[in-house]
Amino acid sequence: MNKLLKLTALASLIFVAQSFAQDHSHHDMHKNQTANDHSNHTAMNAAEVSHSESVYQVDATWNTHKNSKLKLSELEGQPVIVSMIYGSCTTACPVLVHDVKRLYSKLDEDTKQQVKLVIVSFDTDRDTPEALADYVKQYQLNNDNWLFLNGSEQDIRTLATVLGVRYRQRPDGDFDHSNLITILDKQGLIVERIEGLSQPMEKPAKVVAKLVND
Amino acid sequence: MVKWLGVAGVLLSPLVLADPVLINGGTFKPPVLLDKERLSIEMESFMLDSTPVTNQEFLEFVIEQPQWQRDNIAALFHDGNYLKHWDNNTGFAKGKENEPVTYVSWFAAREYCSAQGGRLPSLNEWEYASVKYRQQQNISDDDYARNLFAWYSQPHSAKQQAVDPNADQLMHMHDRVNEWVDDYQLLLTNGDDVDLLSGSCGDGARFMSSFSNANYATFFRYQSRSDYAPQSATSTMGFRCAYDLENDHE
Repeated sequence: MNKLLKLTALASLIFVAQSFAQDHSHHDMHKNQTANDHSNHTAMNAAEVSHSESVYQVDATWNTHKNSKLKLSELEGQPVIVSMIYGSCTTACPVLVHDVKRLYSKLDEDTKQQVKLVIVSFDTDRDTPEALADYVKQYQLNNDNWLFLNGSEQDIRTLATVLGVRYRQRPDGDFDHSNLITILDKQGLIVERIEGLSQPMEKPAKVVAKLVND
Repeated sequence: MVKWLGVAGVLLSPLVLADPVLINGGTFKPPVLLDKERLSIEMESFMLDSTPVTNQEFLEFVIEQPQWQRDNIAALFHDGNYLKHWDNNTGFAKGKENEPVTYVSWFAAREYCSAQGGRLPSLNEWEYASVKYRQQQNISDDDYARNLFAWYSQPHSAKQQAVDPNADQLMHMHDRVNEWVDDYQLLLTNGDDVDLLSGSCGDGARFMSSFSNANYATFFRYQSRSDYAPQSATSTMGFRCAYDLENDHE
């Protein structure tokens, strides 16, 4: 116990020294902790991102749950709501998908026609297009606005980094990850980020509605 | 791909430029714990470049993939300083061929490794290799700590020293450049509240496994890594690539 306390004290000292030595301006970001309550699933805070460069510069080819190929740049011209999950996740992920659904349901009928809802899986091995199609069916998301994407490990990590979604695979095969929903404008710029689970969707819905008319 | 021909070749002839070296798997006791329940990690064997990637090697890559040249790289993938020490898209001052390439973003480093049939090492792989290197080179803990702190106080003089492209063993893990790892952004303070041991950060409790000088020096490296953004292209950051073994002997 003493040893642990000593460790804490020492470690704090290091961090104090460190925080004086570095610029913390870039840590000024969403710090939502509401998603950390899952005992077997750790939420990781999202990282900072560029808001001035299009996410569509990521030139990866994805497999959709409809078994077609897609480059994100093909989504240009409409607002996109994007989140990252993994299919075998039973804690935060269904909530994230439900959150995207809640956001979508707050849009007026006109706007609904003009947005895409994109869910990208962390799990390149297990979340095959077929598995993702099952997921879509299971959660009754079968409408043309939804796109569930499977990609290579390399491309998943690139996209996650660009979106500021942090994740890591644990030894048991599950993933720790940020709980983040990102709203992209028609050009693929990040305009709004919703971090944490079950967040209010009124403001994001307004953001999306405005993007449609921009 | 090019590098992979090299790896196949090394079994026959050891004189191919800068072939990766085998890092034998084993037990790795992380100096900084990311999982409170995992005090040691079983590492699989992998290959790692013997030295950091050089200007010359990176030049060959951007000649083959012009979209990664200085004037062509997508703005999303760097901070404006990408390869700024080069004279132009495909040239740098004579004499810099064998110096570790710097001013490369994490995105560009990953792309380079991918083009060689490899990838960036994971943090654990890099640190595990670092431990092996200290053993191979017989570097005492105190010397290691002293050298690392010396590097951190004067990184610019070190990175301008060349590496031996013919190195047949692990070299320059601590005395040239800081090196990208694939999963660096999972680390301390990168987007997290800095609240060590409280368990309130996203990653759970993380702490040093013991407080020796050597571990503190290592911790310093962990910490400095997490100050970077994936777009960062700086004068002290380079990289080397790792390769999965399973692709090798088949």
